[in-house]
Amino acid sequence: MTTPTFDPTLDLVLERVVPVTPAQVWAAWTQPEHLTKWFTPAPYTTPEAEVDLRPGGIFRTVICSPEGDVVNEGSGCVLVVEPERRFTWTGALGPGYRPNDFSQGGFPFTAEITMEPVDGGTKYTARVSHAIAEHNTQHAEMGFLDGWGAALDQLVAYMQSL
Amino acid sequence: MPTAAPALDEVFKALSDPTRLAVVERLGAGPASTTELARPFAMALPSFTQHLDVLERTGLVSSTKQGRIRVYRLTPAPLEQAVGWLATQREHWTRRLDQLDHYLTRMEEPR
Repeated sequence: MTTPTFDPTLDLVLERVVPVTPAQVWAAWTQPEHLTKWFTPAPYTTPEAEVDLRPGGIFRTVICSPEGDVVNEGSGCVLVVEPERRFTWTGALGPGYRPNDFSQGGFPFTAEITMEPVDGGTKYTARVSHAIAEHNTQHAEMGFLDGWGAALDQLVAYMQSL
Repeated sequence: MPTAAPALDEVFKALSDPTRLAVVERLGAGPASTTELARPFAMALPSFTQHLDVLERTGLVSSTKQGRIRVYRLTPAPLEQAVGWLATQREHWTRRLDQLDHYLTRMEEPR
């Protein structure tokens, strides 16, 4: 699968070289027992994660507040599985490609995580694409870069600790 | 949870925010979980839960925990207090308008 052209009005990108291997990034994103350790910036937590690693499989996370209340729970759909290269999932669809319901609010997005071996570790790119510019702006204003950046720091620290 | 009735200014302060107003409106339709309440808002979760904290501290909403799910519901007392205050103000100003009306009517009589 080819990556669609980057459109700054519709897509947000976090790109960084991280001192872990592509295999470690791959494991962190695709194994639930790893996801629960880094996915949500502290003090928020991800007590539950579920990944069925095949196109159409479930990508589900539960996010809790510092008080331990569930504040977000979503079942997304795995789209692209290219081990240690590319992992794509979307919140627009649920498992089995069934579209998710956004009539009660929220907005869909698709996340493409690519990992490429480079000197010093892995070139990590998280690209999040949206349906309309308004969603892209909302997501940016929600603190996409800070949030995904903080989560990536946690991913690196956690994978290095193993 | 506050034990005494919250100060009126705290109630109006809590209501003076579009997100918190929308939460109060939503809870008017029945109890809802944090996740359900947060969904319509494109807002970072920490900011959103702070809004819920403000509403709960003022006593406008209360919450209970069912397992990991926190469910919020509207508490009518502070809203009734606010409505009562507004109703009193309306009585005062309509009475004054009535008095002005009488006065103006009497002024016209000698002609």
